[in-house]
Amino acid sequence: MKNLHIPVEHTTLANGLRVVVSPDRSAPVVTVGVYYQIGFRLEPFGRSGFAHLFEHMMFQGSAHAGKMEHIRLINSSGGMLNGTTNYDITNYFESVPSNALARVLWLEADRMRALKVDDENLRNQRDVVKEEVRVNVMNQPYGGFPWLDLPPVAFRNWPNAHNFYGDFADLDAATLADVQHFFHTYYAPNNAVLLMVGDLDPAESFALAKRYFEDIPTHPLPPVADVSEPPQTEERRGAVPEKFGPLPAIAIGYTFPPRDNPDWYAAAILDRALHGGRVGRIYRRLVLEKEIAVETDGGADIIETNGPTQMVTRIFHTPEDHSDTVIAAFDEVIREIQEQGITEDELAPVKVKLRADFYSNLEGGMGAHMPRFGLMHYLACFTLFDGDPNRINTVLDGFQAVTAAQVQAVAKKYLVSKNRAVLVRQPVAKAAA
Amino acid sequence: MSGSNATAVDPKSGATANPAAANRSSAVPPLGPERPVAWPKRSVKTLANGLQVVLAEVPTFPKITAQLFFRSGNALVARTTPGLADMTATVVRTGTASRPSRQIEEDLRRMGGDLGTSAGADSSAISIAGLSEFSGGLLELVADLARHASFPAEEFERERRQKIEGLRIERTTPGFLANERFRRVLFGEHPYAVISPTEEQLASYQREQLEGFYRQNYSPANALLIVVGDFASEAMVAQIERIFGEWKSSTSEPPKSPAPPRNVGRKVHLVHLPGSVQTQLVVGNLGITRRDSDWMRLVIANSIYGGAFHSRLVMNIREQKGYTYSPRSGIQSMRQQGFFNVHAAVRNDVAAASLTEIFYEMDRMRSLPVSDEELESARSYLTGVFSLGVATQDGVLGQLSTIYLDRLPEDHLETYRARIHALTAADIILAARKYFDSANSQIVVVGDKAQIGEQVALFGEVTEYDAHGNKQ
Repeated sequence: MKNLHIPVEHTTLANGLRVVVSPDRSAPVVTVGVYYQIGFRLEPFGRSGFAHLFEHMMFQGSAHAGKMEHIRLINSSGGMLNGTTNYDITNYFESVPSNALARVLWLEADRMRALKVDDENLRNQRDVVKEEVRVNVMNQPYGGFPWLDLPPVAFRNWPNAHNFYGDFADLDAATLADVQHFFHTYYAPNNAVLLMVGDLDPAESFALAKRYFEDIPTHPLPPVADVSEPPQTEERRGAVPEKFGPLPAIAIGYTFPPRDNPDWYAAAILDRALHGGRVGRIYRRLVLEKEIAVETDGGADIIETNGPTQMVTRIFHTPEDHSDTVIAAFDEVIREIQEQGITEDELAPVKVKLRADFYSNLEGGMGAHMPRFGLMHYLACFTLFDGDPNRINTVLDGFQAVTAAQVQAVAKKYLVSKNRAVLVRQPVAKAAA
Repeated sequence: MSGSNATAVDPKSGATANPAAANRSSAVPPLGPERPVAWPKRSVKTLANGLQVVLAEVPTFPKITAQLFFRSGNALVARTTPGLADMTATVVRTGTASRPSRQIEEDLRRMGGDLGTSAGADSSAISIAGLSEFSGGLLELVADLARHASFPAEEFERERRQKIEGLRIERTTPGFLANERFRRVLFGEHPYAVISPTEEQLASYQREQLEGFYRQNYSPANALLIVVGDFASEAMVAQIERIFGEWKSSTSEPPKSPAPPRNVGRKVHLVHLPGSVQTQLVVGNLGITRRDSDWMRLVIANSIYGGAFHSRLVMNIREQKGYTYSPRSGIQSMRQQGFFNVHAAVRNDVAAASLTEIFYEMDRMRSLPVSDEELESARSYLTGVFSLGVATQDGVLGQLSTIYLDRLPEDHLETYRARIHALTAADIILAARKYFDSANSQIVVVGDKAQIGEQVALFGEVTEYDAHGNKQ
């Protein structure tokens, strides 16, 4: 077994901005990211979709780089850029030839310092976001299934339970003052981490970070929002009509242990035994052996979240079977792993595959033109959520140490009906075409 | 077409400034000198049985990624059995003479492996990735699938049922319906016209037909094996000789394809999707292949027109007008023919307005030379993105497959950046005039005809279809 050691160096600037670098000089490119610890879970109450709309606004102009300049300067430096909004973080990232590193840092610092946008920008991006929602959700078969459908069924606390992409009425209600207020509340150096991975020298990179970012003022941060869930006492169920697709679909989510819980590692291994492609227990039983499902997939994003998180299974089946019959077949798989646990012969390969997937994620993770995006992303999560970017080099040990008995124990503890939510997406009756 | 730039910043003004003297918050830092790409150590060898082998050492992560290509895909059978190559590839992974399906999947997991089998228009492929400590076992599995696939009857039946259900879902997806119609219109009787079989065709296929395609085409003389990752080339060559050396060839002659039609005049092809809350547009023309001497000209013209985030089309209909989220243009090269297309999912009430801008930007590219600044920016973009694209094992494999499948010059990668830097504004206008043929563009729209029918009729004669491809 060949173990990989990722070089990681980190520091904190005087204004509280954390800076993490990981050099790798094999190709003349560098991937840079700024991660803010604010996601759609924490958007203002009643303003669904605001965090994501705000993310779009961050490309609309800052103090010294007006609308289109961020995009133009990165593209014309030979780079690619994007941003995403997640449960607990919002990230902005660029991959560029390494000779553009200083330029990228200048741009990210400029928009961390001051956002310069107007009503016209806001109107424009509101329209763009609505088309994004239409193309990804409203005009697609199984759009938003189940990442938008399941949280309102599974959770009771608004931060976890609302529509993350946003109701159009809420998007329309957003004002420029809301945008600036959100910026001043959360987009502070002391609420962020700057990451640089690839063709760089750590000392030079820290000097550049200091030069461009260190005089951005610290802001007082609001008290940490309460995203905890009240105790669940029974299974929760919901239904959503499927407008386009012909197959009924089911999503089953179990709330998983939080990242600082000792069960966290074993839960990840359990997830891999159940899901993990064609060899996983759920696919094998439902699709291959019983042929009761057409397709199943699923898993839990445990590294990337810092609040209530579910392991979610998606099942597509033919209309001939009632969803209860399909769920009963699923329950049988769960019962077996609870009662019989898993053997060493299953556990060992699950761990090997987890290690291989971990390396693949580090190298890629965001398409062909964002080298080592995954490495950067994990470093950001380990820094913001665990306060330790070096966890990148120890997290695999935690997974490797999990025993079969621990897997069975977490199956019994977490895969129970009062810890789960079930959502059924039933096709609406079609008029004859 | 000026934007609402609060502060216009010229990147080149920074390039001449002394960075130490520059005001650190208001001036764009200059680019440093371009660093050379360190090309991975590459070896190319043809085995005695005809198998072409290409290796590249990329040792950054302890894994390998490999792909075994066969130079036969769906185009070969499109006229008689559309999608048969794809169906064959799908079932190939479900069993061999010595390994039942479950064994294959468990062997993969034991080696940290991911397996994919697929077929495009011109090739079929078995792809594998996994931990480098298991490279021998991973490649043995690839060889087993390539030589001894057994096409188990019940696996075949199940995979076919899944394909049929998958196709039913695709028929409700605007992007699929738009591409399907676009390819029909562009390619007519040519095999590239068909991107998917019908449900009835899928239901009629026999496992013997899959086996027939397999026996004829999964053959070493018809194959290319690319392995990229953490290994020493000499040892890897020896390993490949051992695993693939005994494999015997059968040969087949590809049939001749009819020419695609010459579409004259702008025409509109409307696929009616009742209740659609958005309109999917695809606009385009036949183009050229990578082997054409105009290819690099077209690459840069496309990147300025609509191929990049900062392109004219994206800035216009997304950033200025807010009509759409992800408009983009692209150029595709297949073995015999290529095409140019623009796609965008737009708000229903601006379907016509979006088409107007799509054609306006095409015609502007054909009428006026691009500025020096735009030219320089596009060159930097293309050379930079090229460097990003060869910084991962998957990226290197993708680039190598382009070279060896399309039979491009061996130094294609090494000379790419220099060829981009040599392009001029005259090259761009030449390519735009030849290939952004706006007067003869074919327009495919997928949406609710009650909402968009009148709008799209402004752009040419309309032919209407339902979601199953039937003319109305």
